[in-house]
Amino acid sequence: MRVWEVFVNDLSELREDEELDLSIRTLEPGIYKYTYKRVRARVSSSPDTYPDRLHVRFGRGQPCDQTFSIQIVEELNVIPAKYL
Amino acid sequence: MKGHRDNREYVADLERHGDAVRITQEVDWDLEAGAIVRRVCELKAPAPFMERIKDYPGFRYLGAPLATYRRLAISLGMDPRSSVPDIAEEYLKRTTSEPIAPVVVDRREAPCKQNILLGDEVDLCKLPAPLVHDGDGGRYIGTWHAVITEGAEGDVNWGMYRLMLYDSRLMVGAVFPFSDLGKAFHQRYEPRGEPMPFAAVIGPPPLAAVAACAPSPIPEPELTGMLMGAPIELVKCETNDLLVPAHSEVVIEGVILPNVRVEEGPFGEYTGYRTSPRDKRLTFLVKAITFRDDAIVTISNMGVPTDEGQLLRSFSLGLELDKLLRSQGIPITGVYMPPESTHHMMIVGVKPIYSNIATQIANLAFGSKLGPWFHMVVVVDDTIDIYNWDEVFHALCTRCHPVRDIRVYEHAVGTALYPFLSAHERKYAKGAQVLFDCTWPLDWDPLNEVPRLVAFRSVYPKEIQEKVLANWEAYGFPTE
Repeated sequence: MRVWEVFVNDLSELREDEELDLSIRTLEPGIYKYTYKRVRARVSSSPDTYPDRLHVRFGRGQPCDQTFSIQIVEELNVIPAKYL
Repeated sequence: MKGHRDNREYVADLERHGDAVRITQEVDWDLEAGAIVRRVCELKAPAPFMERIKDYPGFRYLGAPLATYRRLAISLGMDPRSSVPDIAEEYLKRTTSEPIAPVVVDRREAPCKQNILLGDEVDLCKLPAPLVHDGDGGRYIGTWHAVITEGAEGDVNWGMYRLMLYDSRLMVGAVFPFSDLGKAFHQRYEPRGEPMPFAAVIGPPPLAAVAACAPSPIPEPELTGMLMGAPIELVKCETNDLLVPAHSEVVIEGVILPNVRVEEGPFGEYTGYRTSPRDKRLTFLVKAITFRDDAIVTISNMGVPTDEGQLLRSFSLGLELDKLLRSQGIPITGVYMPPESTHHMMIVGVKPIYSNIATQIANLAFGSKLGPWFHMVVVVDDTIDIYNWDEVFHALCTRCHPVRDIRVYEHAVGTALYPFLSAHERKYAKGAQVLFDCTWPLDWDPLNEVPRLVAFRSVYPKEIQEKVLANWEAYGFPTE
Protein backbone atom coordinates (compact mmCIF):
# COMPACT_ATOMS: atom_id res chain seq x y z
CA MET A 1 0.00 0.00 0.00
CA ARG A 2 1.36 3.37 -0.98
CA VAL A 3 0.40 6.71 0.50
CA TRP A 4 -0.43 9.74 -1.62
CA GLU A 5 -1.65 13.25 -1.03
CA VAL A 6 -3.79 15.59 -3.10
CA PHE A 7 -4.70 19.27 -2.82
CA VAL A 8 -8.29 20.33 -3.46
CA ASN A 9 -10.31 23.45 -2.86
CA ASP A 10 -13.38 21.43 -1.96
CA LEU A 11 -14.00 17.77 -1.23
CA SER A 12 -16.66 17.73 -3.93
CA GLU A 13 -13.78 17.70 -6.44
CA LEU A 14 -13.07 14.12 -5.36
CA ARG A 15 -16.09 12.51 -7.01
CA GLU A 16 -16.48 8.95 -5.74
CA ASP A 17 -15.52 6.10 -8.02
CA GLU A 18 -15.25 8.26 -11.15
CA GLU A 19 -12.08 8.45 -13.18
CA LEU A 20 -10.47 11.77 -12.34
CA ASP A 21 -7.30 13.48 -13.55
CA LEU A 22 -5.33 14.45 -10.46
CA SER A 23 -1.87 15.67 -9.46
CA ILE A 24 -0.93 13.55 -6.47
CA ARG A 25 2.29 13.55 -4.48
CA THR A 26 3.93 10.64 -2.77
CA LEU A 27 4.37 10.59 0.99
CA GLU A 28 6.75 7.63 0.91
CA PRO A 29 9.88 8.41 2.96
CA GLY A 30 13.11 9.15 1.12
CA ILE A 31 14.41 11.64 -1.36
CA TYR A 32 11.38 11.41 -3.65
CA LYS A 33 8.90 12.32 -0.93
CA TYR A 34 6.51 15.09 -2.05
CA THR A 35 7.21 14.62 -5.77
CA TYR A 36 4.17 14.62 -8.00
CA LYS A 37 2.60 12.40 -10.60
CA ARG A 38 -0.22 13.37 -12.91
CA VAL A 39 -2.61 10.42 -12.90
CA ARG A 40 -6.03 9.20 -13.94
CA ALA A 41 -7.45 7.58 -10.83
CA ARG A 42 -10.51 6.52 -8.91
CA VAL A 43 -10.96 7.69 -5.35
CA SER A 44 -13.20 6.79 -2.47
CA SER A 45 -13.96 8.54 0.80
CA SER A 46 -13.56 5.14 2.42
CA PRO A 47 -9.91 4.40 3.29
CA ASP A 48 -10.25 0.74 2.32
CA THR A 49 -12.05 0.74 -1.03
CA TYR A 50 -8.94 1.13 -3.19
CA PRO A 51 -5.42 -0.19 -2.67
CA ASP A 52 -3.58 3.04 -1.84
CA ARG A 53 -4.25 5.64 0.84
CA LEU A 54 -4.96 9.22 -0.17
CA HIS A 55 -4.53 12.11 2.21
CA VAL A 56 -6.18 15.39 1.33
CA ARG A 57 -5.18 18.99 1.90
CA PHE A 58 -7.15 22.10 1.08
CA GLY A 59 -6.09 25.10 -0.96
CA ARG A 60 -4.06 26.82 1.73
CA GLY A 61 -2.41 23.63 2.93
CA GLN A 62 -4.84 22.76 5.73
CA PRO A 63 -5.03 18.97 6.24
CA CYS A 64 -8.37 17.23 5.93
CA ASP A 65 -9.20 14.86 8.79
CA GLN A 66 -10.69 12.27 6.48
CA THR A 67 -8.46 9.70 4.75
CA PHE A 68 -9.50 8.56 1.27
CA SER A 69 -8.33 5.64 -0.84
CA ILE A 70 -7.14 5.77 -4.42
CA GLN A 71 -6.52 3.45 -7.35
CA ILE A 72 -4.23 4.79 -10.06
CA VAL A 73 -5.62 3.80 -13.45
CA GLU A 74 -2.79 5.27 -15.48
CA GLU A 75 -0.01 7.79 -15.24
CA LEU A 76 -0.34 10.80 -17.52
CA ASN A 77 2.45 12.71 -19.18
CA VAL A 78 2.89 16.23 -17.91
CA ILE A 79 5.53 17.17 -20.45
CA PRO A 80 4.71 16.93 -24.16
CA ALA A 81 6.89 14.30 -25.82
CA LYS A 82 8.48 16.86 -28.16
CA TYR A 83 10.26 18.43 -25.21
CA LEU A 84 11.72 15.18 -23.86
CA MET B 1 36.48 44.07 -3.02
CA LYS B 2 33.71 45.08 -0.61
CA GLY B 3 31.56 41.98 -1.01
CA HIS B 4 32.11 38.23 -0.71
CA ARG B 5 33.03 36.09 -3.66
CA ASP B 6 30.83 33.23 -2.46
CA ASN B 7 28.79 31.93 0.44
CA ARG B 8 31.82 30.26 2.01
CA GLU B 9 33.59 33.59 2.50
CA TYR B 10 30.31 35.05 3.67
CA VAL B 11 29.67 32.33 6.29
CA ALA B 12 33.21 32.79 7.62
CA ASP B 13 32.58 36.52 7.95
CA LEU B 14 29.22 35.94 9.63
CA GLU B 15 30.87 33.61 12.13
CA ARG B 16 33.59 36.16 12.81
CA HIS B 17 30.89 38.69 13.75
CA GLY B 18 28.82 36.20 15.77
CA ASP B 19 26.09 36.24 13.13
CA ALA B 20 26.07 32.53 12.24
CA VAL B 21 25.54 29.35 14.23
CA ARG B 22 27.20 26.21 12.91
CA ILE B 23 24.86 23.24 13.45
CA THR B 24 26.76 19.96 13.34
CA GLN B 25 23.98 17.52 14.26
CA GLU B 26 21.93 16.06 11.44
CA VAL B 27 18.96 18.17 10.35
CA ASP B 28 15.98 16.82 8.41
CA TRP B 29 15.15 18.57 5.12
CA ASP B 30 11.53 17.61 5.78
CA LEU B 31 10.33 20.56 7.91
CA GLU B 32 13.08 20.60 10.58
CA ALA B 33 15.41 22.87 8.61
CA GLY B 34 12.49 25.14 7.73
CA ALA B 35 11.38 25.34 11.34
CA ILE B 36 14.90 26.32 12.43
CA VAL B 37 15.05 29.09 9.84
CA ARG B 38 11.55 30.32 10.69
CA ARG B 39 12.40 30.63 14.39
CA VAL B 40 15.66 32.37 13.51
CA CYS B 41 13.70 34.94 11.48
CA GLU B 42 11.22 35.58 14.25
CA LEU B 43 13.97 35.96 16.88
CA LYS B 44 16.36 37.84 14.57
CA ALA B 45 18.88 35.19 15.65
CA PRO B 46 22.19 34.36 13.90
CA ALA B 47 22.00 32.59 10.55
CA PRO B 48 21.91 28.78 10.90
CA PHE B 49 24.65 27.00 8.94
CA MET B 50 23.60 23.34 8.85
CA GLU B 51 26.43 20.97 8.02
CA ARG B 52 24.64 17.60 7.93
CA ILE B 53 21.37 17.13 6.09
CA LYS B 54 19.40 13.89 6.33
CA ASP B 55 19.58 11.88 3.07
CA TYR B 56 22.01 14.38 1.53
CA PRO B 57 25.66 13.89 2.48
CA GLY B 58 27.84 16.43 0.71
CA PHE B 59 25.32 19.26 0.95
CA ARG B 60 24.86 21.98 3.53
CA TYR B 61 22.22 24.62 4.27
CA LEU B 62 22.61 28.32 5.00
CA GLY B 63 19.34 29.63 6.41
CA ALA B 64 18.16 33.23 6.69
CA PRO B 65 21.33 34.46 4.96
CA LEU B 66 20.32 38.13 4.87
CA ALA B 67 17.37 38.38 7.23
CA THR B 68 18.76 41.23 9.35
CA TYR B 69 20.25 44.64 8.69
CA ARG B 70 23.36 43.43 10.49
CA ARG B 71 23.82 40.69 7.91
CA LEU B 72 23.05 43.12 5.09
CA ALA B 73 25.81 45.39 6.44
CA ILE B 74 28.22 42.44 6.63
CA SER B 75 27.36 41.38 3.07
CA LEU B 76 28.26 44.91 1.94
CA GLY B 77 31.55 44.79 3.85
CA MET B 78 30.32 47.38 6.35
CA ASP B 79 30.41 47.50 10.13
CA PRO B 80 27.59 45.21 11.35
CA ARG B 81 26.48 47.95 13.73
CA SER B 82 25.82 50.37 10.86
CA SER B 83 22.49 52.17 11.08
CA VAL B 84 19.81 51.65 8.44
CA PRO B 85 20.30 55.19 7.06
CA ASP B 86 24.06 54.55 6.81
CA ILE B 87 23.49 51.26 4.96
CA ALA B 88 21.00 53.03 2.69
CA GLU B 89 23.46 55.83 1.97
CA GLU B 90 26.17 53.32 1.09
CA TYR B 91 23.79 51.34 -1.11
CA LEU B 92 22.75 54.51 -2.94
CA LYS B 93 26.37 55.56 -3.35
CA ARG B 94 27.37 52.25 -4.85
CA THR B 95 24.32 51.86 -7.07
CA THR B 96 24.70 55.33 -8.55
CA SER B 97 28.38 54.86 -9.31
CA GLU B 98 29.82 53.68 -12.62
CA PRO B 99 28.57 50.23 -13.63
CA ILE B 100 31.13 47.46 -13.19
CA ALA B 101 30.90 44.94 -16.00
CA PRO B 102 31.19 41.24 -15.20
CA VAL B 103 34.06 39.10 -16.44
CA VAL B 104 33.57 35.72 -18.06
CA VAL B 105 35.88 33.00 -16.80
CA ASP B 106 36.79 29.64 -18.22
CA ARG B 107 34.76 26.73 -16.88
CA ARG B 108 37.95 25.29 -15.35
CA GLU B 109 38.05 28.34 -13.06
CA ALA B 110 34.40 28.00 -12.08
CA PRO B 111 33.76 26.10 -8.83
CA CYS B 112 30.10 25.63 -9.78
CA LYS B 113 31.31 23.12 -12.41
CA GLN B 114 32.89 20.75 -9.89
CA ASN B 115 30.00 18.30 -10.32
CA ILE B 116 27.93 18.07 -13.50
CA LEU B 117 24.77 16.03 -14.03
CA LEU B 118 23.54 15.67 -17.60
CA GLY B 119 21.08 13.44 -19.45
CA ASP B 120 19.72 10.56 -17.39
CA GLU B 121 21.80 11.64 -14.40
CA VAL B 122 19.63 14.74 -13.99
CA ASP B 123 17.42 14.33 -10.95
CA LEU B 124 16.24 17.28 -8.90
CA CYS B 125 15.73 14.96 -5.94
CA LYS B 126 19.51 14.65 -5.69
CA LEU B 127 19.39 18.19 -4.32
CA PRO B 128 18.26 18.79 -0.72
CA ALA B 129 15.23 20.90 -1.54
CA PRO B 130 13.56 21.51 1.83
CA LEU B 131 9.89 21.25 2.68
CA VAL B 132 9.94 24.72 4.20
CA HIS B 133 6.52 24.90 5.90
CA ASP B 134 4.03 22.19 6.79
CA GLY B 135 1.26 22.38 4.21
CA ASP B 136 3.38 23.79 1.41
CA GLY B 137 2.51 22.39 -1.98
CA GLY B 138 5.95 20.89 -2.37
CA ARG B 139 9.66 21.14 -1.72
CA TYR B 140 11.04 24.53 -2.69
CA ILE B 141 14.59 24.53 -4.01
CA GLY B 142 14.30 28.20 -4.93
CA THR B 143 13.67 30.46 -1.96
CA TRP B 144 16.85 32.57 -1.95
CA HIS B 145 18.39 32.33 -5.37
CA ALA B 146 18.47 33.92 -8.81
CA VAL B 147 16.58 32.84 -11.89
CA ILE B 148 18.59 33.95 -14.91
CA THR B 149 16.83 34.41 -18.25
CA GLU B 150 16.57 36.79 -21.11
CA GLY B 151 15.03 40.05 -19.92
CA ALA B 152 11.95 41.96 -20.97
CA GLU B 153 13.98 44.01 -23.46
CA GLY B 154 15.98 41.09 -24.78
CA ASP B 155 18.75 41.82 -22.29
CA VAL B 156 19.68 39.65 -19.32
CA ASN B 157 17.45 39.32 -16.28
CA TRP B 158 18.24 37.96 -12.84
CA GLY B 159 15.09 37.66 -10.77
CA MET B 160 13.84 35.80 -7.76
CA TYR B 161 10.81 33.62 -8.47
CA ARG B 162 10.01 30.81 -6.05
CA LEU B 163 10.60 27.35 -7.49
CA MET B 164 8.87 24.16 -6.37
CA LEU B 165 9.94 20.65 -7.30
CA TYR B 166 7.19 18.90 -9.23
CA ASP B 167 9.15 15.76 -10.02
CA SER B 168 12.72 14.72 -10.79
CA ARG B 169 12.91 16.80 -13.96
CA LEU B 170 10.34 19.52 -13.52
CA MET B 171 10.10 22.63 -11.38
CA VAL B 172 7.16 25.01 -11.29
CA GLY B 173 7.48 28.68 -10.53
CA ALA B 174 5.36 31.63 -9.48
CA VAL B 175 6.09 34.24 -12.14
CA PHE B 176 3.83 37.27 -12.42
CA PRO B 177 3.07 38.56 -15.93
CA PHE B 178 4.31 42.08 -15.07
CA SER B 179 7.72 40.80 -13.93
CA ASP B 180 10.68 40.98 -16.30
CA LEU B 181 10.70 37.22 -16.78
CA GLY B 182 6.92 37.21 -17.18
CA LYS B 183 7.03 39.91 -19.86
CA ALA B 184 9.80 38.19 -21.82
CA PHE B 185 8.11 34.79 -21.68
CA HIS B 186 4.56 35.91 -22.39
CA GLN B 187 5.45 38.49 -25.04
CA ARG B 188 8.18 36.67 -26.95
CA TYR B 189 8.63 32.98 -26.21
CA GLU B 190 5.16 31.62 -25.60
CA PRO B 191 3.52 33.32 -28.62
CA ARG B 192 6.17 31.64 -30.80
CA GLY B 193 5.79 28.32 -29.01
CA GLU B 194 9.48 28.40 -28.10
CA PRO B 195 11.00 27.07 -24.88
CA MET B 196 12.82 29.81 -22.96
CA PRO B 197 16.28 28.96 -21.60
CA PHE B 198 16.82 29.54 -17.89
CA ALA B 199 19.40 28.96 -15.20
CA ALA B 200 18.35 28.83 -11.54
CA VAL B 201 21.25 29.65 -9.28
CA ILE B 202 20.87 28.35 -5.75
CA GLY B 203 23.34 29.89 -3.34
CA PRO B 204 24.62 32.71 -5.53
CA PRO B 205 27.19 35.12 -4.06
CA PRO B 206 25.29 37.13 -1.41
CA LEU B 207 25.29 40.43 -3.29
CA ALA B 208 24.24 38.68 -6.50
CA ALA B 209 21.14 37.56 -4.61
CA VAL B 210 20.62 41.13 -3.42
CA ALA B 211 20.87 42.33 -7.03
CA ALA B 212 18.42 39.65 -8.21
CA CYS B 213 15.98 40.83 -5.56
CA ALA B 214 16.36 44.55 -6.33
CA PRO B 215 13.91 46.28 -8.69
CA SER B 216 16.71 48.25 -10.33
CA PRO B 217 16.91 49.20 -14.01
CA ILE B 218 20.65 48.43 -13.95
CA PRO B 219 21.41 44.97 -15.39
CA GLU B 220 21.95 42.67 -12.45
CA PRO B 221 25.49 41.50 -13.36
CA GLU B 222 26.63 45.15 -13.43
CA LEU B 223 24.61 45.95 -10.32
CA THR B 224 26.29 43.07 -8.50
CA GLY B 225 29.68 44.45 -9.50
CA MET B 226 28.72 47.90 -8.25
CA LEU B 227 27.60 46.45 -4.92
CA MET B 228 30.71 44.25 -4.64
CA GLY B 229 33.14 46.91 -5.79
CA ALA B 230 34.63 44.40 -8.23
CA PRO B 231 33.45 42.52 -11.32
CA ILE B 232 31.48 39.38 -10.68
CA GLU B 233 32.90 36.32 -12.40
CA LEU B 234 30.46 34.55 -14.70
CA VAL B 235 30.67 31.28 -16.59
CA LYS B 236 28.62 29.88 -19.45
CA CYS B 237 25.99 27.24 -18.78
CA GLU B 238 26.41 23.66 -20.00
CA THR B 239 23.24 23.52 -22.09
CA ASN B 240 22.55 27.13 -23.12
CA ASP B 241 24.36 30.44 -23.57
CA LEU B 242 23.28 32.05 -20.31
CA LEU B 243 26.01 33.20 -17.95
CA VAL B 244 25.86 32.34 -14.24
CA PRO B 245 28.01 33.41 -11.29
CA ALA B 246 31.02 31.09 -11.35
CA HIS B 247 31.15 30.86 -7.56
CA SER B 248 27.52 29.81 -7.18
CA GLU B 249 26.82 26.72 -5.14
CA VAL B 250 24.26 25.01 -7.40
CA VAL B 251 23.11 25.79 -10.94
CA ILE B 252 20.00 24.22 -12.45
CA GLU B 253 19.74 24.67 -16.23
CA GLY B 254 16.85 24.07 -18.57
CA VAL B 255 13.94 25.60 -20.43
CA ILE B 256 10.62 27.13 -19.47
CA LEU B 257 8.01 25.31 -21.53
CA PRO B 258 5.44 27.22 -23.59
CA ASN B 259 1.80 26.30 -23.08
CA VAL B 260 2.57 23.80 -20.33
CA ARG B 261 1.39 24.48 -16.79
CA VAL B 262 1.33 22.36 -13.64
CA GLU B 263 0.08 23.07 -10.15
CA GLU B 264 2.23 25.21 -7.86
CA GLY B 265 1.74 26.14 -4.21
CA PRO B 266 0.42 26.84 -1.77
CA PHE B 267 3.46 28.33 -0.04
CA GLY B 268 4.09 30.35 3.09
CA GLU B 269 4.65 33.80 1.67
CA TYR B 270 6.43 37.03 2.51
CA THR B 271 3.21 38.66 3.68
CA GLY B 272 3.21 36.29 6.64
CA TYR B 273 0.35 34.20 5.28
CA ARG B 274 -0.32 31.43 2.83
CA THR B 275 -2.46 33.54 0.52
CA SER B 276 -2.07 33.00 -3.20
CA PRO B 277 -4.14 30.17 -4.63
CA ARG B 278 -2.63 26.90 -5.71
CA ASP B 279 -2.70 27.29 -9.45
CA LYS B 280 -1.20 26.02 -12.67
CA ARG B 281 1.98 28.00 -13.28
CA LEU B 282 5.09 28.11 -15.47
CA THR B 283 7.00 24.85 -15.82
CA PHE B 284 10.79 24.66 -15.78
CA LEU B 285 12.14 21.53 -17.47
CA VAL B 286 15.61 20.72 -16.16
CA LYS B 287 18.40 19.62 -18.51
CA ALA B 288 21.50 19.92 -16.35
CA ILE B 289 22.53 20.40 -12.75
CA THR B 290 25.99 21.57 -11.72
CA PHE B 291 27.18 22.09 -8.18
CA ARG B 292 30.21 22.62 -5.99
CA ASP B 293 31.68 20.08 -3.65
CA ASP B 294 29.97 20.41 -0.25
CA ALA B 295 27.46 22.75 -1.84
CA ILE B 296 25.61 25.24 0.35
CA VAL B 297 21.90 25.46 -0.43
CA THR B 298 20.45 28.78 0.75
CA ILE B 299 17.03 28.81 2.41
CA SER B 300 14.81 31.78 3.02
CA ASN B 301 11.73 31.05 5.09
CA MET B 302 8.94 33.45 4.23
CA GLY B 303 6.48 34.15 7.02
CA VAL B 304 5.83 36.79 9.65
CA PRO B 305 8.62 39.39 9.79
CA THR B 306 11.48 39.40 9.34
CA ASP B 307 12.89 37.35 6.50
CA GLU B 308 15.24 38.48 3.75
CA GLY B 309 12.45 38.76 1.23
CA GLN B 310 10.80 41.39 3.39
CA LEU B 311 14.00 43.10 4.47
CA LEU B 312 15.81 43.33 1.15
CA ARG B 313 12.78 43.89 -1.00
CA SER B 314 11.70 46.70 1.36
CA PHE B 315 15.19 48.13 1.40
CA SER B 316 15.70 48.12 -2.36
CA LEU B 317 12.14 49.13 -3.26
CA GLY B 318 12.44 52.13 -0.95
CA LEU B 319 15.78 53.20 -2.37
CA GLU B 320 14.68 52.74 -5.98
CA LEU B 321 11.67 54.95 -5.26
CA ASP B 322 14.05 57.43 -3.65
CA LYS B 323 15.99 57.58 -6.94
CA LEU B 324 12.80 57.88 -8.99
CA LEU B 325 11.38 60.75 -6.93
CA ARG B 326 14.68 62.66 -6.94
CA SER B 327 14.95 62.16 -10.71
CA GLN B 328 11.60 63.95 -11.01
CA GLY B 329 12.80 66.87 -8.90
CA ILE B 330 10.63 66.09 -5.88
CA PRO B 331 12.28 67.64 -2.78
CA ILE B 332 12.22 64.49 -0.69
CA THR B 333 14.30 63.95 2.40
CA GLY B 334 14.26 60.18 1.89
CA VAL B 335 12.19 57.05 1.42
CA TYR B 336 11.96 54.13 3.83
CA MET B 337 9.93 50.98 3.67
CA PRO B 338 9.79 49.15 7.02
CA PRO B 339 10.37 45.40 6.57
CA GLU B 340 7.66 44.82 9.16
CA SER B 341 5.19 46.15 6.58
CA THR B 342 6.16 43.14 4.43
CA HIS B 343 7.11 45.74 1.83
CA HIS B 344 3.59 47.14 1.67
CA MET B 345 4.12 50.60 3.18
CA MET B 346 6.34 53.26 1.62
CA ILE B 347 7.20 56.16 3.93
CA VAL B 348 8.32 59.28 2.11
CA GLY B 349 9.74 62.37 3.77
CA VAL B 350 9.36 65.60 1.81
CA LYS B 351 9.79 69.33 2.14
CA PRO B 352 6.22 70.39 1.30
CA ILE B 353 6.95 73.45 -0.80
CA TYR B 354 3.72 73.28 -2.79
CA SER B 355 0.22 71.97 -2.24
CA ASN B 356 -0.71 68.35 -2.97
CA ILE B 357 2.92 67.28 -3.24
CA ALA B 358 1.93 64.06 -1.46
CA THR B 359 -0.49 63.25 -4.27
CA GLN B 360 2.24 63.82 -6.83
CA ILE B 361 4.50 61.43 -4.89
CA ALA B 362 1.81 58.76 -4.67
CA ASN B 363 0.97 59.09 -8.36
CA LEU B 364 4.63 58.58 -9.27
CA ALA B 365 5.09 55.72 -6.82
CA PHE B 366 1.94 53.80 -7.73
CA GLY B 367 2.34 54.54 -11.43
CA SER B 368 5.89 53.25 -11.59
CA LYS B 369 7.13 49.74 -12.31
CA LEU B 370 7.57 49.39 -8.54
CA GLY B 371 3.90 50.13 -7.85
CA PRO B 372 2.35 46.64 -7.82
CA TRP B 373 4.56 45.61 -4.90
CA PHE B 374 3.11 47.99 -2.30
CA HIS B 375 -0.23 49.57 -1.64
CA MET B 376 0.34 52.18 1.05
CA VAL B 377 2.24 55.46 0.71
CA VAL B 378 2.66 57.59 3.82
CA VAL B 379 4.00 61.08 3.18
CA VAL B 380 5.41 63.04 6.10
CA ASP B 381 7.10 66.40 6.17
CA ASP B 382 10.80 67.03 6.68
CA THR B 383 10.45 67.39 10.46
CA ILE B 384 9.76 63.66 10.78
CA ASP B 385 12.51 61.03 10.90
CA ILE B 386 11.27 58.49 8.36
CA TYR B 387 13.34 55.74 10.01
CA ASN B 388 11.72 56.38 13.41
CA TRP B 389 8.43 54.46 13.41
CA ASP B 390 7.27 56.20 16.62
CA GLU B 391 7.49 59.57 14.88
CA VAL B 392 5.87 58.32 11.67
CA PHE B 393 3.06 56.60 13.56
CA HIS B 394 2.46 59.72 15.62
CA ALA B 395 2.28 61.83 12.45
CA LEU B 396 -0.05 59.33 10.77
CA CYS B 397 -2.41 59.35 13.74
CA THR B 398 -2.42 63.11 14.27
CA ARG B 399 -1.85 64.89 10.96
CA CYS B 400 -3.76 62.78 8.47
CA HIS B 401 -7.34 64.01 8.04
CA PRO B 402 -9.61 60.97 7.71
CA VAL B 403 -11.52 62.51 4.79
CA ARG B 404 -9.20 65.05 3.19
CA ASP B 405 -5.83 63.33 3.48
CA ILE B 406 -6.59 59.70 2.68
CA ARG B 407 -6.78 59.12 -1.06
CA VAL B 408 -7.86 55.75 -2.36
CA TYR B 409 -6.61 54.46 -5.70
CA GLU B 410 -9.04 51.95 -7.15
CA HIS B 411 -8.38 49.55 -10.02
CA ALA B 412 -4.66 49.28 -9.30
CA VAL B 413 -2.35 46.51 -10.43
CA GLY B 414 -2.03 44.01 -7.60
CA THR B 415 -0.63 40.56 -7.05
CA ALA B 416 -2.13 37.24 -5.97
CA LEU B 417 -0.17 37.54 -2.75
CA TYR B 418 -2.08 40.41 -1.10
CA PRO B 419 -3.90 38.85 1.87
CA PHE B 420 -6.60 41.54 1.95
CA LEU B 421 -7.79 40.90 -1.60
CA SER B 422 -10.74 38.66 -2.36
CA ALA B 423 -10.14 35.35 -4.10
CA HIS B 424 -11.37 36.86 -7.37
CA GLU B 425 -9.11 39.90 -7.01
CA ARG B 426 -6.12 37.67 -6.25
CA LYS B 427 -6.77 35.48 -9.27
CA TYR B 428 -6.85 38.46 -11.62
CA ALA B 429 -4.26 40.54 -9.70
CA LYS B 430 -6.71 43.39 -9.15
CA GLY B 431 -5.30 45.63 -6.44
CA ALA B 432 -6.10 48.86 -4.63
CA GLN B 433 -3.78 51.44 -3.13
CA VAL B 434 -3.97 54.27 -0.65
CA LEU B 435 -2.14 57.48 0.18
CA PHE B 436 -1.92 58.86 3.71
CA ASP B 437 -0.93 62.52 3.44
CA CYS B 438 0.55 63.50 6.80
CA THR B 439 1.79 66.94 5.77
CA TRP B 440 0.15 70.08 7.09
CA PRO B 441 -1.90 71.95 4.48
CA LEU B 442 0.10 74.86 3.07
CA ASP B 443 -2.95 77.10 3.10
CA TRP B 444 -3.15 76.89 6.88
CA ASP B 445 -1.86 79.89 8.79
CA PRO B 446 1.48 78.57 10.15
CA LEU B 447 1.16 80.69 13.29
CA ASN B 448 -2.43 80.07 14.27
CA GLU B 449 -3.62 76.94 12.45
CA VAL B 450 -0.67 74.56 12.33
CA PRO B 451 -0.41 72.86 15.74
CA ARG B 452 2.86 73.21 17.62
CA LEU B 453 4.69 69.94 18.22
CA VAL B 454 5.19 69.37 21.91
CA ALA B 455 8.48 67.52 22.12
CA PHE B 456 11.73 67.93 23.99
CA ARG B 457 13.43 69.01 20.78
CA SER B 458 10.80 71.58 19.86
CA VAL B 459 9.37 73.33 22.92
CA TYR B 460 12.45 74.12 24.99
CA PRO B 461 15.08 76.74 24.33
CA LYS B 462 18.32 75.32 22.99
CA GLU B 463 20.24 76.26 26.12
CA ILE B 464 17.77 74.38 28.32
CA GLN B 465 17.99 71.31 26.11
CA GLU B 466 21.79 71.41 26.28
CA LYS B 467 21.76 71.88 30.04
CA VAL B 468 19.42 68.94 30.57
CA LEU B 469 21.43 66.73 28.27
CA ALA B 470 24.71 67.72 29.91
CA ASN B 471 23.31 66.93 33.37
CA TRP B 472 21.40 63.80 32.45
CA GLU B 473 23.67 61.40 34.26
CA ALA B 474 24.13 63.81 37.13
CA TYR B 475 20.36 63.77 37.64
CA GLY B 476 20.73 60.03 38.18
CA PHE B 477 19.55 58.65 34.85
CA PRO B 478 21.47 55.78 33.28
CA THR B 479 23.76 56.57 30.37
CA GLU B 480 21.88 56.46 27.08
